[in-house]
Amino acid sequence: MTTTTDDTKTTAYAAEPPVRLNWSEHAPEVYKAMLRLDTAARRGLDPKLYELVKIRASQLNHCAFCLDMHTKDALAAGESVERIVQLGAWEESRHFYTEKELAAIELTEAVTVLTDGFVPDEVYAKAAAHFEEAELAQLISAIAVINTWNRFGVTCRMAPGHYRPGQHG
Amino acid sequence: MTARTTRLDDRVRSALRTVGAAAKRGLGDADLAELVQIRASQLNHCAFCLDMHLGLAREQGVGMGVPPAERSRDWGRRLDLLAAWEEAGEVFDARERAALALTEAVTVLTEGFVPDEVYEQAAAHFEEAELAHLLALIATINAWNRLMVARRIPAGSTQW
Repeated sequence: MTTTTDDTKTTAYAAEPPVRLNWSEHAPEVYKAMLRLDTAARRGLDPKLYELVKIRASQLNHCAFCLDMHTKDALAAGESVERIVQLGAWEESRHFYTEKELAAIELTEAVTVLTDGFVPDEVYAKAAAHFEEAELAQLISAIAVINTWNRFGVTCRMAPGHYRPGQHG
Repeated sequence: MTARTTRLDDRVRSALRTVGAAAKRGLGDADLAELVQIRASQLNHCAFCLDMHLGLAREQGVGMGVPPAERSRDWGRRLDLLAAWEEAGEVFDARERAALALTEAVTVLTEGFVPDEVYEQAAAHFEEAELAHLLALIATINAWNRLMVARRIPAGSTQW
């Protein structure tokens, strides 16, 4: 496994599981359209907020590959290690984030955990209070899109640990 | 019921449509595509998507992708039993069951991963390119479900 830690030569880590399916090679048109979708969804959103949303959804969906990518992209965008680490327990570490970011994170959770039921009015209302309509539409789009990437990553068991920031432009 | 908002960037809508169209084309099975999209929309409680895809399946379903000789299959009954496909015996064949199991695993992701047996069952019935497009279709309907539920687009709405 390729990691950035210093002790990889002396520590016996578990073997990296094989990838199940190189989906983008088998569905190149889909992949191309997904990249266009991603570009369209991030327009007008603050890059740091965008990465927080991507990281939180990827945590909920257990997408290791996406976590690898978006934590590294967040750091490259100037995000702090502390805010990334605290994100998994944001309800108890609200003072690390702005009210606007918290509204976005709450909406991310509601829209991601959809099978447990709907998006509560208070969660939507809070987001609508912090984001004007066009920006809110972009936020909802961004949440939907990372949920799509997460599904590719988890199902195909894409391997984390190899991503370099900016790799996908 | 009125929508919370009908706002959605045209570029997002258009790109997601392209993803879905490419997925459906690559899967090459219009009937199965509707079953998958309806089942995911059931799990995600998307009224708009259920209305749209059940409508499509009911109106066009019998003829969609089914050779004339096989059109006696009771499409309506299959739709009625879709939510209980595991208990519905031979109403769904092994390939459809593998696709539906994958749809459920990939849709209910927050409760944890896609089990090896579910993935392997799907891989046994679909060759790799088909499987990649089936997965893409599941991922795409999950995105539409989120866009519609979050904005609370009413069933049957023409503005979405």
